[in-house]
Amino acid sequence: MVARQGLCSSRSQFGILYRHAVPMGTTAKEEMNKFWTKNTRLNRPVSPHISIYQWSVPMMMSISHRGTGVALSSGISAFALAALVLPESYPYYLDLIHSMSFGPQFLAFSKFALAFPVAYHTFNGIRHLMWDVGKGFKIPEIYRSGYVVIALTILTSIGLAAV
Amino acid sequence: MAALVRLSSVCHRGVSPLLFRTSSLIRPLAIQKKDHDCPYLISAKIHATPSNYTGSGSKAASLHWTGERILSIVLLGMAPMAYYFPGPAVDYSLAAALTLHGHWGLGQVLTDYVHGDFKIKMANAGLFILSTVTFAGLCYFNYHDVGICKAVALLWSK
Repeated sequence: MVARQGLCSSRSQFGILYRHAVPMGTTAKEEMNKFWTKNTRLNRPVSPHISIYQWSVPMMMSISHRGTGVALSSGISAFALAALVLPESYPYYLDLIHSMSFGPQFLAFSKFALAFPVAYHTFNGIRHLMWDVGKGFKIPEIYRSGYVVIALTILTSIGLAAV
Repeated sequence: MAALVRLSSVCHRGVSPLLFRTSSLIRPLAIQKKDHDCPYLISAKIHATPSNYTGSGSKAASLHWTGERILSIVLLGMAPMAYYFPGPAVDYSLAAALTLHGHWGLGQVLTDYVHGDFKIKMANAGLFILSTVTFAGLCYFNYHDVGICKAVALLWSK
């Protein structure tokens, strides 16, 4: 069998040779689990990756999309929890915060701080949906759409904070 | 002597044709007949799951992905709705859409960073509880308090 293999592989155009493809007996999920249990068991060191790779705008925007998503979701959950737990009504607490506030700049800043992650996640979300239908994958397009998202985010947040 | 056999015959077994599009395989004629009796003589271990091998191919993951995108678009449409038609209908729809969008989004985050059967199960259970409490809290707020649309309006009016 080896000799036959040797005979064939010496003539192949590429390095790898598949006479016949045989599907493996395990599922991809099982293979993944096997990898991770072995990986954790051996406690393998991790090569430096995000600590050494040069950051790019698309990279930063991608993790910011995730970051704003997690932050917004946590905020909504915290709000929902507060609604269940706190005894008084929403207008009561709103007036309470308003009476404690440190001036109009504080209010404008809080509006900006709330609007910014919502705006960013929304606009970048639309950018993601464009990718999902297959549009805008060329590298210059990625950067261009990214800058548009950043610009729209800043403008929208300032606009909403000024209302 | 040597016979040129196109790998397209292998492709029908479900291996990605992309790998072998332009390759031709040269193998001695003598072996050809034997292959008919025993097709898996030399094999490379690959993950190929053509539909005729898998018993029940599930489209669950694919449908989940599509569902996530549709929900995102629906949520996008709710923003102008909330502005122009505030009220209980939008309040409860927003509560449901926001919670589900967040639940699925956090689910993807967990899938990316949590590994190991037990940890995955625990993390997903925790997420499910969080999402349930979130939805309950938002519905409670909509019913007993001013509601989401009014809450944002009040916040912005100050």
